[in-house]
Amino acid sequence: MTTIVTPRPELLDTSATTDNYLTFTRGFRSWALTLDHKRIGVMYMSAVLASFFVGGVFALLLRTELLTPGRTIVSAETYNQFFTLHGAIMVFLVIIPSIPAALGNFVLPIMLGAKDVAFPKLNLFSFYLWIGGALFTLYSLAAGGFDTGWTFYTPYSTTTTTGGVIPVLTGVFILGFSSIFTGLNFIVTVHKLRPPGMTWFRMPLFLWALYATAIIQVLATPVLAITVCLLIVERTMNIGIFNPSMGGDPVLYQHFFWFYSHPAVYIMIVPAMGIISEIISVHSHRQIFGYRFIAFSSIAIAMFSFIVWGHHMFISGQSGLMNTIFSLISFSVAIPSAVKTFNWTMTLYKGTISLTAPMMYGLAFLFLFTIGGLTGIHLATLNTDVHLHDTYFVVAHFHYVMMGSALIGMIGGLHHWWPKMTGRMYNEKAAITACIIIFVGFNITFFTQFMLGSQGMPRRYYDYQPEFQIYHVISTIGAYIMACGFFLCAACFVQSLLGGKKAPANPWGGRSLEWQCTSPPPHDNFSSPPTVGNCYDFSMLRWDEKEQGYVVDKELEALAIAAEARGHS
Amino acid sequence: MLSILTSIFIATASAQTAPPVVTPSDFWLPIGASVQAHNVDLMFNIINYICYFFFVVVVGMMVWFVIKYRAKPGTRIRNDGMTHHAVLELSWSVIPLLICIAIFFFGFTGYVDLITPPKNSFDVNVTAFKWGWQFKYPNGAQSDNLVVPSNRPVRLVMRSNDVLHCCFIPAFRVKKDIVPGRYSTLWFQCDIPTGPEEKNGYHLFCAEYCGTGHSNMNRRVVVLPQAEFDEWLVKQAQWLDEIPDDELYFKAGPKIYARCQQCHSIDGTIGLAPSWQGIWTRITTPGGARFSDGKSYADIIGPGKEYATPEDYVRDSIYNPGKHLVATYGNVMPTFKGQLNDRAVDSVIGMMKHLDEFDAKGAWTKTLPPAAAKTETKSEMK
Repeated sequence: MTTIVTPRPELLDTSATTDNYLTFTRGFRSWALTLDHKRIGVMYMSAVLASFFVGGVFALLLRTELLTPGRTIVSAETYNQFFTLHGAIMVFLVIIPSIPAALGNFVLPIMLGAKDVAFPKLNLFSFYLWIGGALFTLYSLAAGGFDTGWTFYTPYSTTTTTGGVIPVLTGVFILGFSSIFTGLNFIVTVHKLRPPGMTWFRMPLFLWALYATAIIQVLATPVLAITVCLLIVERTMNIGIFNPSMGGDPVLYQHFFWFYSHPAVYIMIVPAMGIISEIISVHSHRQIFGYRFIAFSSIAIAMFSFIVWGHHMFISGQSGLMNTIFSLISFSVAIPSAVKTFNWTMTLYKGTISLTAPMMYGLAFLFLFTIGGLTGIHLATLNTDVHLHDTYFVVAHFHYVMMGSALIGMIGGLHHWWPKMTGRMYNEKAAITACIIIFVGFNITFFTQFMLGSQGMPRRYYDYQPEFQIYHVISTIGAYIMACGFFLCAACFVQSLLGGKKAPANPWGGRSLEWQCTSPPPHDNFSSPPTVGNCYDFSMLRWDEKEQGYVVDKELEALAIAAEARGHS
Repeated sequence: MLSILTSIFIATASAQTAPPVVTPSDFWLPIGASVQAHNVDLMFNIINYICYFFFVVVVGMMVWFVIKYRAKPGTRIRNDGMTHHAVLELSWSVIPLLICIAIFFFGFTGYVDLITPPKNSFDVNVTAFKWGWQFKYPNGAQSDNLVVPSNRPVRLVMRSNDVLHCCFIPAFRVKKDIVPGRYSTLWFQCDIPTGPEEKNGYHLFCAEYCGTGHSNMNRRVVVLPQAEFDEWLVKQAQWLDEIPDDELYFKAGPKIYARCQQCHSIDGTIGLAPSWQGIWTRITTPGGARFSDGKSYADIIGPGKEYATPEDYVRDSIYNPGKHLVATYGNVMPTFKGQLNDRAVDSVIGMMKHLDEFDAKGAWTKTLPPAAAKTETKSEMK
């Protein structure tokens, strides 16, 4: 799209034909009590981005502290609270809800061709549960903070004197239910609200990914709820469950915790993979390569995710036999991940690739996920993991996957659906510049940490040996660069909201159903039932000079639909 | 490219480091000093090359396709790409699977070697606590650094006094969590002696987060030839006994205080535990409520009370630290029962009585009279 922002006539035209979800009703109550999945999605997105800002500030404080060995800006106690908060906020308040609850809520029903999710009230309730969880997390700071690490390992977490442990555990408990309700809603919606013609294998891959994610959310999150409950019981009533001095077992806690938290890794990454399937296909204007393999690989990852948790515990005191079994099964996750990566790459082959901002994020994802995924091999292998476990190598690995992949996927998806959500375009050149800055900063920050880790620097260290300083300095510089990129990205969005060009219904030439309704969509999504076709058939697109992009050619589309109808009869 | 970067990193890193604490030996890994390191490094490098290969394939194809198929404004949609290809897709499912199984297998056999100590290993008892280590030897010797013989398998039998810790020696490629309530073991054999303890050694880290002092649990692993090690072991067992009684508090005191200073300051700095500043006056003069249960020192110290003398109180506070908690402080101190014997406790008590002779870091600030200085040279240990 063009990058010139000029007040165009249609901007001033608030015509009656555009009765969209943003203008449907007005006032605070109309938002606070809305049952519209789109508004709930937008509220989730605002809340998640605000949390991302807070978590990011903590990340920058951490990196600044690590510029020098010993004290740089804060004390060891404060540093420990900072990295705990950074982890807890980013995991529980940002990444887990970011794609399913924020983007998924907005996109899933429209993409599916439904008017809303199956249980709109439950959907709103899940948002308020998120707010409740976030408030408890905030309150825990007032109650003395917590320095347990986001993993809450016992017996440290049940004996530490910081006062915010129970509030934050309560917050995590509540956030878990928010996640469960979202998952439940999505499963039922996908099963029950598909319009005629939307068969399972016509669903966009993002929906397959959200469906796989929802299964994990519903099955795994209750275990987290039980685990934090037991932790609270042990801390408040001194009932020995995990603390050996009261007859408990700390390794049991780790089993419970990772039984949720390993699947949770896939709650974070699988929806991002779904977004990338959409972005790469839509912006290459080419049928996704190997639709079924990608769809089934999402389900396969969801299933495998439940039986590999023990690879977090290779040196924890778990038996050698268990380690061996978990190592073997852990490799199974590599296969569906490899399939996806190769299929995305092949989708580029013989495509018609537009290097738009979402596509740049898609390519960044492919690059970063390849590194993040491959370094998982070092950690699944038993003897190399012994050396690398609990070092910065692990930190780098999961940041490549959690941030470089999950969050970059989320930001890419936000760029992809931003015109649909807000009805505005953003300055594409600035958005691409932001993406490149983030990409460069990210690699400087985290690639260095692979070396730091393999050289033997343990994680969660306030103070360190002087020979590690050079790596820390480089990593911190990278973090500052990345922060600049994110600020530019945020500036693009703000500029778009204030004075962005009005977005057409289908700026990218997408074929899935959300591009068939206006931007922003009307309150009921579709005025007439949408026609469900092959959402990855881009043959009816043509270049449009006026829009400076690909648009659906109505005549070619009619021909394609007719051809498909003949094929079916 | 890689080698240039390596040399930059190594040059910068070694410039800042006192020898011979471990410096990076190549781009990825530190020096491998144990007999097990070779296999781990080999595996690490093999996996690295596999990763380089697949990274180049994926990113290379990505860049190539993006350049080749990039749409200029006005380009027609091409519609001649494959939608799927069963053979291709199966091959990039099955080939990675086979590679993964091979990696798993070699990782597994390497792991078995890594965790199975030989029968003739030399045992060292390790106690980890917040925030330090205690290494105990069969002859009763104790040490703050891990001193081991070279050319002989060493097995660490480890336990924790409080929370999870983790013994990590990067140069040996070994690591093991230390779980309170159970023993865990770890073994290695190092054939490269490091030289005497004063400033040599490989890093030993705590790798499992354990609170405020987590990053200050680093110690050194000193590897000595067997003969030197035997000599060290004998001296180490006797060092406390060879110091004359009247010199205990300033010779042994500071060494033992090094293990207390993470929490107890002696200059009044507020830490995780009460400062020692003025401690002897505090506990010997009757005062107000000092404990969390409202009792004062005078309530428990004195003839016929719980502790007949202040010395008894200090000694019991070291062995049963949770019994009486000074108001506003939590029950965080580990017990030192079995770690500090009577003479060690005497040294600590002596130091408390003469705190004005020590600086903020616990170093003795007075100098010995000439006569005593002579004894010092004679009995200087370690």
